Amino acid sequence: MSGTRGGDERKVSSLRELSPAIEPARDLWPQIEARINEERRTAPGAMAAQPRPGRARAVPLRWLAAAAVVASVAVGVWIGRSLLPVARPGAGVESPTADAPTALDVTYVSDPRYQRDRTALMQSLQARLAALPPPARAKVMASLAAIQRAKQDLENELGKDPGNALLQELLVNTYQDEMRVLTDVHYAGDAGRGI
Amino acid sequence: MTQAQAEDTQIDWEAALVQRACSGDTRAFERLYREHAGRVYGLCLRMTRDVHLAEDCTQETFINAWRALPRFQTRSSLSTWLHRIAVNVSLAKRRKASPVEASLEDEEGPRGALEWTLETPVEVQEIEAAIGALPDGARDALVLHALYGYSHGEAAQMLGVAEGTCKAQLHRARKLLRERLNVEVS
Repeated sequence: MSGTRGGDERKVSSLRELSPAIEPARDLWPQIEARINEERRTAPGAMAAQPRPGRARAVPLRWLAAAAVVASVAVGVWIGRSLLPVARPGAGVESPTADAPTALDVTYVSDPRYQRDRTALMQSLQARLAALPPPARAKVMASLAAIQRAKQDLENELGKDPGNALLQELLVNTYQDEMRVLTDVHYAGDAGRGI
Repeated sequence: MTQAQAEDTQIDWEAALVQRACSGDTRAFERLYREHAGRVYGLCLRMTRDVHLAEDCTQETFINAWRALPRFQTRSSLSTWLHRIAVNVSLAKRRKASPVEASLEDEEGPRGALEWTLETPVEVQEIEAAIGALPDGARDALVLHALYGYSHGEAAQMLGVAEGTCKAQLHRARKLLRERLNVEVS
């Protein structure tokens, strides 16, 4: 396997320390994509489920209902935020909403900074929730559960209709709303206040 | 919410990408490729010991995965599913390249799982070379078990051999590594 790990002089004391991943020297995707496109041209029915144009723009009422739930959660969070101190202590976790993308870009969630911040907030969530008064805790948990359901519903629907811009926008908004709730819980815990 | 629950959400996201790819979205499939290509290529390279063959196998793995994606059960792990395809593709390519393959009959292997710790630390380059020099069967079992963390049973299933054979191959790999690296492997 010469050349694959060339120059790696790091020492390991267990085989488990070796990384299973090795990046290929060149990008293999263009050829894979070309083969896939070629197959789609020659056998368009090869994939079990191609996009279904007949239902492409029909957004079922329940997605709008999910969006309404998310919107109401967002309003509740906004009201809650207005009760919190203006100067937020503990700059350790930056608010990801400060420069959140507004474009219809679902790659938002693959942003390493978003993932890092979200993981940190998730890890501290239980402790922060425990510090909240019971009514506020119940409200936050209900909001997060509603957001989670909305996310799953939207993701499932996007699976059936990947090009639907409205669904994409709703999904991005849902992720942003989740971050707002998590951030507010984080700072509410710091301030010892309710939401 | 616990870390495990946070990870579940990430896995849900991967499931959504799979669904979108199933619907014909190549952008979603490209994101899955970017996420998994390194581990798939690492597996193919270690199994074939040839950069060009490993590139072919990686491409073939993802093309086969694209074709079979509608049959993939999102409840199972996508990486395990891709590794299974990669192992099949690599074994087939290797058979084509050199049809004669050393075999090892079922025999009693070591009891319990090895930690694969080295008595003295060894350079990555040196240990990769030692793994690369192992006979095919021993190397395959070692890579899947010690590097990718699959159990004896899972590795055996992927390689299409009996679990006892897989254990025996690991025993052999350990012995050969000890000889080549001149350190105790426990």
